[in-house]
Amino acid sequence: MRIIKETHFPFLSYRWIAIGISMTLILLGLAAIIFGKGLNLGIDFAGGTQVTIKFHQKPDLNRLRKTIARLGLGAPVIQRFDEPTKHEILIRVENPKGKEGDFTRPILDLLNKEYNGNLGKAFDLNTGGVRELTHLLIQLDPDHVAADPETMASHYQPMAAAVMTYRKDAGIFSSLKELDSIPKLSAPVRAALKQHCAVGTFSLLGAQSVGPAVGSDLREKATLAVVFSLLGMLIYIWIRFQLPYGIGAVGALFHDVLITLGALAITQREINLPTIAALLTLVGYSVNDTVVVFDRVRENLRLTRGAELQGLMDESINQTLSRTLITSGTTLMVVITLYLFGGDVINTFAFVLLVGIIVGTYSSIFIASPIALGATRFRNKMKRRRREGRRRKR
Amino acid sequence: MDKKLLWRIVLIVAVLVVSIVGLYPPAQKIHLGLDLRGGIHLVLRVNTGDAIKAELDNASQLLISQAEAKGIKLGDPKIEPKALRFVVPVPLNVNRDALRQIIKDNLAQYKWSSGVGEWTFTLPKNIARRMRDRAVKEALNTIRNRVDQFGVSEPRIQRQGIEGDRILVQLPGVDDPGRVKDLIGRTALLELKEVIAGPASSRQALLAKTGGQVPPDAEVLTGDQKDIDGNVIGKEYYLVRRAAIVSGRELRSARRSQDQYGQPAVQFTLVPSAAHKFAQFTGSHIGTNLAIVLDNKVMSAPVIHGQISDQGIIQGSFSVQEAEDLALVLRAGALPASITYLEERTVGPSLGHDSVVRGIRAGISGLIIVIVFMLVYYKWSGLNADVALLMNLVLLMGAMAYFGATLTLPGIAGVILTIGMAVDANVLIFERVREELALGKTVRSALDAGFSRAFGTILDANLTTLIAALFLFQFGTGPVKGFAVTLSIGILASMFTAVFVSRTLYMIVLAKKDRVESLSI
Repeated sequence: MRIIKETHFPFLSYRWIAIGISMTLILLGLAAIIFGKGLNLGIDFAGGTQVTIKFHQKPDLNRLRKTIARLGLGAPVIQRFDEPTKHEILIRVENPKGKEGDFTRPILDLLNKEYNGNLGKAFDLNTGGVRELTHLLIQLDPDHVAADPETMASHYQPMAAAVMTYRKDAGIFSSLKELDSIPKLSAPVRAALKQHCAVGTFSLLGAQSVGPAVGSDLREKATLAVVFSLLGMLIYIWIRFQLPYGIGAVGALFHDVLITLGALAITQREINLPTIAALLTLVGYSVNDTVVVFDRVRENLRLTRGAELQGLMDESINQTLSRTLITSGTTLMVVITLYLFGGDVINTFAFVLLVGIIVGTYSSIFIASPIALGATRFRNKMKRRRREGRRRKR
Repeated sequence: MDKKLLWRIVLIVAVLVVSIVGLYPPAQKIHLGLDLRGGIHLVLRVNTGDAIKAELDNASQLLISQAEAKGIKLGDPKIEPKALRFVVPVPLNVNRDALRQIIKDNLAQYKWSSGVGEWTFTLPKNIARRMRDRAVKEALNTIRNRVDQFGVSEPRIQRQGIEGDRILVQLPGVDDPGRVKDLIGRTALLELKEVIAGPASSRQALLAKTGGQVPPDAEVLTGDQKDIDGNVIGKEYYLVRRAAIVSGRELRSARRSQDQYGQPAVQFTLVPSAAHKFAQFTGSHIGTNLAIVLDNKVMSAPVIHGQISDQGIIQGSFSVQEAEDLALVLRAGALPASITYLEERTVGPSLGHDSVVRGIRAGISGLIIVIVFMLVYYKWSGLNADVALLMNLVLLMGAMAYFGATLTLPGIAGVILTIGMAVDANVLIFERVREELALGKTVRSALDAGFSRAFGTILDANLTTLIAALFLFQFGTGPVKGFAVTLSIGILASMFTAVFVSRTLYMIVLAKKDRVESLSI
């Protein structure tokens, strides 16, 4: 099978149109970053405390917002997480300026007071941990083990763990009846749990807290990672090819990163550490694509000395076109499955790659070569001038 | 079969066997990161300034008490921890030589200068640095002890940077962040101190008995005021001698027990040397109060009824759990300085569980799509690429198991991405072979040319991606580092499978035939 037969598109003739389109996209992105809402820096870089919570019924977001506002930590971000039917909520608050500290506890205490006030002293199966539950069972001793603490712990700990494993798989207990479906529990233990435990309205899925010191650290490291990998590639291509090609490849990279950042700003997706990882992957991917084209240009230059560069570049792009599209296609297929089915946590990661691969493929065809062509012509002009200057001096 | 081919097959089989053996059993060999298995990730800072302040405090007290023993009365010291020094007012008429001798005997490591009316003692910078370093190391040890007692499997507790004051703590599978943080973060310094006056209901009332002034060798501490049933009803003030008779570092053991009302309490035993000191003190102070101080809070101040040698009990309104935790931290030792939490990440196990299931599902669907596409597009050659792709995955997982790398959520994404990019090398080769065939070359020479020409391209293209991955590894943290590792290994593995393995597969197929008319590509 063959999708693309031999082609002879004069890609570089359209370079000004391509550059025009790209500049528009970049400027739109920059405008969104500078004049619009800007980049939505996530907790990794902006700092703060973020708590993910699962309710067993659809929560009232307004009530939640009012509850969290009592913390007095500025406007909290409260949004749905994952599919709406899962009733998962993400709560984020900022740290008071320059102050270290984690607000997971205060947030949970507030929520407990607001939503679980009716539980009294009963043990909440949705917020308790394995050790606490083991302790409770040891104190109640429904199986009448009545031995030293260690024997009792080894008797009750597996049961407590089974209860927590059930919660882990289900996400939340919605009623005490669910205890019946945990086979590991002995009948007296089940009865005792039903008597002494309660089911709170929410369970904690995750919590993150990044203080200002670590936040600025992470920002610095992410910047360094991006800058150094760009530099590293520029130098590598400079050595393996020539400086104009290095400029072409890195120019295309800037193009891809800027457009992707713009897309992130417009869609207001959060930028966290995995997002930076995705950006750097895109950098690697895009340069990979460009190098394949340049490699062909280099080979053709060797074969046909003295040929006109623009036509030769066009021919090289056409020769590698089917490879470029197939590789982008297969990678894109994988990224699309990741985007659609990978879940909320890697969704932004997949989004960056999705945009990046499309833009990266476009730029390795329409942007990298024109820049390399322009840089080569500029270099040759400078050389000629220098030569003429020398001649005149003589 | 020709020797070269045989050698190639042996190498490939060997690599495969090593990977599979290294990978078996997968559940134990592939470490899941915290984001996948659930757990707690903490970064904390040891406030080493505390250790410096404590040292300056102790040194100034030592100087004053030694001088007093020689009949020299010094003023209240002024402690300046930031400047690493303390200043002591010295009356002009004192015996300076005697004072010099005391300093020489007791404060040898300090640099000091005598001014008019006050002497300044400075801790040299290198000694302060060593103290800070020691404080971090001690904190690291203490935290390790506490976590060990807590019973977490595969904890990771390490210092960040060689000279840094940050400690990273990772506890997989722990589901109760609040409790762990209390357990780790508590200073847990137990001190037994002599009560000079108190308890009183306010600071003024307390100091009224001593003329409104806190004596230089004493301090005011507070504790909870309780009714007969042990309920907290207010605050009480105590004036206690600053120097502790015995401190928590001299504990031999601590365990949960009950006080005389049947309330949970913590019982402790002292090491022999401290027991001796304690017996001497209690023997000569019968009838006075003894303050049991935990982290600068008076827990109780019982009357000394007789000589006590090596046992004591800490009372408070503890729950069973709290008493147990307190006994645990006392056994593990006190932190040399307070700590501040800089970063905390808790992943509930269900979030991690969900991510794994979805990530793997997405990966498998992506893999199937790519495999089918290659088969349709390149026919039998596509099968060749698919075999190489699967082997690439086995190598990747094997290498990760071998290096003890951790699989994180971005890491799974990295594996999935590798699937997409791994076929790239094969695509490059196949497209090249098609071009060579179109030029009218024979199958064998087209394959030769395709593989050798494409190799240069593959090398350049993959090395640039590797550069990005390396910097990601260098500057990345946590999950991102895991991603960089999978990506790097994936790139290297794909170069081996796409170039070497694919080539060998062609050689095996073509070896039997003398003349090859066509290639399924």
